[in-house]
Amino acid sequence: MIKNYIKIAFRNLWRHKSFSLINIVGLAIGLTAFVLILMYVNFELSYDNFHTKADQIYRVNTNIISSNDVMKEPVTSAPMGPALKADFPEVVESTRIFGDKVLVKVKDQLFQEYRMIIADPSLFKTFNFPLIKGSATQALKNPFSVVLTETTAKKYFGSADPLGKTLVFDNKYPVTVTGIAKDAPANSQIKFDLIYSVSSLDKEYPGRLSQWGNFGNFTFLLLKKGTNASLLQAQMPAFLKRHISESDRKQGMNYALFIEPLKDTYMDPKSYDGGNMNNIYIFSIIALFILLIAAINFINLTTARATERAKEVGVRKVIGADRNQLIWQFLGESIMICLIAFVFAVLLITLLLPLFNQVAGKEICHTIFNHGYLLILLCISVVIGLSAGVYPALVLSGFKPVVILKGKFSTSVKGAWLRKALVITQFTISIVLIVGTLVVYKQLNFMRSQSLGFNKDQILTINFAGDQAVLKSYQTIKNEIKAVPNVLSITMSAGTPGGGSSNAYSELENRQGTMQPVNINLYDVDYDYIPAYGMKVIAGRTFSSAYGTDSTKAIVVNEAAAKSLGYVSPNDAIGKRFSQWGRDGKIIGVVKNFHYRSLQQNVEPLNMRVNPANAETFSVKIAAKDMPGTIAAIQNKWKILVPQRPFNYDFVDKNFDRQYANEERFGKLFLYFAVLAIFISCLGLLGLASYSTIQRTREIGIRKVLGASVVSIVSMLSKEFLLLVIAASVIAFPLAWWGMHTWLRDFAYRINISWYVFVFAGAISLLIAFTTVCFQSVKAALANPVKSLKSE
Amino acid sequence: MIKITDLEKFYRTEEVETIALNKLTMEVRKGEFVAIMGPSGCGKSTLLNILGMLDDPDAGSYVFNDIEVAHFNERKRADLRKHNIGFVFQSFNLIDELTVFENVELPLIYTGVAAADRVKRVEPVLDKMQIMHRRNHYPQQLSGGQQQRVAIARAVVNNPKLILADEPTGNLDSSNGNDVMELLTDLNEQGTTIIMVTHSEHDARYSHRIIRLLDGHTVMENIMI
Repeated sequence: MIKNYIKIAFRNLWRHKSFSLINIVGLAIGLTAFVLILMYVNFELSYDNFHTKADQIYRVNTNIISSNDVMKEPVTSAPMGPALKADFPEVVESTRIFGDKVLVKVKDQLFQEYRMIIADPSLFKTFNFPLIKGSATQALKNPFSVVLTETTAKKYFGSADPLGKTLVFDNKYPVTVTGIAKDAPANSQIKFDLIYSVSSLDKEYPGRLSQWGNFGNFTFLLLKKGTNASLLQAQMPAFLKRHISESDRKQGMNYALFIEPLKDTYMDPKSYDGGNMNNIYIFSIIALFILLIAAINFINLTTARATERAKEVGVRKVIGADRNQLIWQFLGESIMICLIAFVFAVLLITLLLPLFNQVAGKEICHTIFNHGYLLILLCISVVIGLSAGVYPALVLSGFKPVVILKGKFSTSVKGAWLRKALVITQFTISIVLIVGTLVVYKQLNFMRSQSLGFNKDQILTINFAGDQAVLKSYQTIKNEIKAVPNVLSITMSAGTPGGGSSNAYSELENRQGTMQPVNINLYDVDYDYIPAYGMKVIAGRTFSSAYGTDSTKAIVVNEAAAKSLGYVSPNDAIGKRFSQWGRDGKIIGVVKNFHYRSLQQNVEPLNMRVNPANAETFSVKIAAKDMPGTIAAIQNKWKILVPQRPFNYDFVDKNFDRQYANEERFGKLFLYFAVLAIFISCLGLLGLASYSTIQRTREIGIRKVLGASVVSIVSMLSKEFLLLVIAASVIAFPLAWWGMHTWLRDFAYRINISWYVFVFAGAISLLIAFTTVCFQSVKAALANPVKSLKSE
Repeated sequence: MIKITDLEKFYRTEEVETIALNKLTMEVRKGEFVAIMGPSGCGKSTLLNILGMLDDPDAGSYVFNDIEVAHFNERKRADLRKHNIGFVFQSFNLIDELTVFENVELPLIYTGVAAADRVKRVEPVLDKMQIMHRRNHYPQQLSGGQQQRVAIARAVVNNPKLILADEPTGNLDSSNGNDVMELLTDLNEQGTTIIMVTHSEHDARYSHRIIRLLDGHTVMENIMI
């Protein structure tokens, strides 16, 4: 019996190739999209799961409380970790991790490394970062020891054994390689190319590890199994009280500690480079939708074709088939179609995975033959086969043989209504996705084209990581580079727009005349900085070397800072007092707000002070003409002036745009899936339109004989489908508006969703649907009516 | 074998009620060959569908082999049907996706006959119908006469006690039609009861008895000698 079913199913598929193709292609694409998204979601949710003790690991976060806000930061100060371990028996290990840049000299070669972590020896006990060579207990014990990853070791030494070799860090410290670690997996939040011992830090900056007020490192705790974290949490205030000196507390610095399970940290919006739970939800919904669209095609095409299968049903029933047997026959057929689609989906996924990884910006998955994805895909295929097949199976098996075999049979009106409803569902989803894509791209475009309040074009940044040798001779370097033709200006700073900034606990005089404690973002700059970036001074003046006090007793704040102090006019802030990191003096100027972070965030209070000794970056403004030549000339100068450092440069505008990489990826994925959705929907529409025209062949013939024009027949045939798309638009618009409105709320600076986005999305889907339907209806309208009438 | 009493069947559309069978009473004995005749719309096909248990009557009694089946549900009817009744249609009604052999084999599959036995039973029937050489062809590749022979083969493969034929020669030329009638006569002579609906007086002459219907009831019975 089963053999007979399979046989007839195959022959049926083969006989109706276009129908089968539409179904199989649609389902294969739907399954592919679904599994790719599943992989993405699974990857995002798998962060740090590979640590066997992940459930016992907690990150210590700090809430820094000042009068104007509470700043939640995932960082701590250096002495906290060891103190926590000493004070609480349930803390088995504490691991401090500092992120740093380093210039590495291997023999005569220089490498600028951006992903070095400085970690306690307990790193290897708490986390699963296995060593290939070296001892996990000893490798990070001594000062000036470094563990390299496999990749880094290969880069430095090729195939030679790196163990015991010496590197020079920042042209200053000889460091010994004490271990080789496996590269951290892609789903590790802690990423590194080198691991340096914490004890080195104590040698390089004596006293650094005992500063309670310097928040610059992560602290991870490994708790005893079964520890109640909330009980430990409850003891944190007392812990801080014990350890923070009276003087620190007097300074007004007020903070609280929060321990957070490691597994929660990736999705925590405060984590650097973390995930976004919203995007996970959005993509999960899209995945289900695309699968739904493909399943709808299957249901629609199968029931639309019901008339063709009716005779077979009738004959089988007359011969002795009962209804259950027929139901299983049709279910079997739909499962088989899904299984064929499954095979194609596996091929498609294998082909698309590299591209998908590239779009996602990380190695999400190498192959479908992993993590049981194949099994999941297979199960989903069978489930779709069953669920999409059940309605057609019930309809087909319910046919009465008497009616069918007499030829009085026609598809019921009810079935037609259902098909219409399903087509509307498909197009509703497609249109929502189109609107979504348009809005995402418009928002991206808006953020890129928005005036940032400073001039970001043709500014080259050269990072020298605060190299002391550079700082010693900075005046010479500035003069020499400025002398290069086409260089318009040069300035140096710690903090550039689109990059990071430090955050200073400060006290500023507010409108009431009292010293208000605030956390304020801080740029260390030189005298040329504000004019070089084209920032607008709206009150007071910029820094000038003509005033001797500007180098120590002056700050320039932004509008937001003036406002947060209560000043209605920026002019009111001029001359007001400040106290910050040991400096006291007056506010000398207010600059117009400029976007130093992405447009997702509001412009927060910021101040600048003259302190070139802290600078890390040169910003060189160059002329638009012959930029490659200018850059090459600067590079040549750099090689002479700073031979100890590679010439690493970047552009401010590019760097700024890089902040939108996540949104860009999001937009791209949205676009791809919208295209897929509309493609699968149109496949279904094509199939439906062709069956509907076949059914109406006789009607078309009669109309033509009576004198109907081709145009009138095409419009008659297309109208019914276009009405469905219009109905779908009506449903889709409010849904899309609501969805995108919610999405946009995450952006401090955002577009309004204008009406023409909807008009455009509606028009596009109408056009695509019309083209699809036309294909069939024109053919039918041009056919010779004699043929169609004769066949009756 | 068949005894129907006061059988009634109505068809309702939204506004009109049509009486297809009007208190029809008739009897068919085992081994008989009965022809049912009458003008279009007289209820012949309705009667045949009810006799074949494809349709149920609205009122009256239908006793098949001493069992009252008028109120059987679909599954019970299907079960009784597949073991006892074979059908032959005017338009053959073969399944286009199956070969000659597979079409004939199908009833055996539904009655649960093992694969090896099926071959043993299908082949002699195909041989008898002289279509053995066409066993692997599809219906579209056969002539009308050949298709009807396949249909008859399929109707008899299960050794039914009753064959219902609905204008079996209606789509055939006279020579092929005569062949089909000869086949039915042979079957009847071997003991199968046959009820045939036909428009053709020529075909009706092959039967033992003609029942003439008009407006849903019997108007005349001719016994053929």
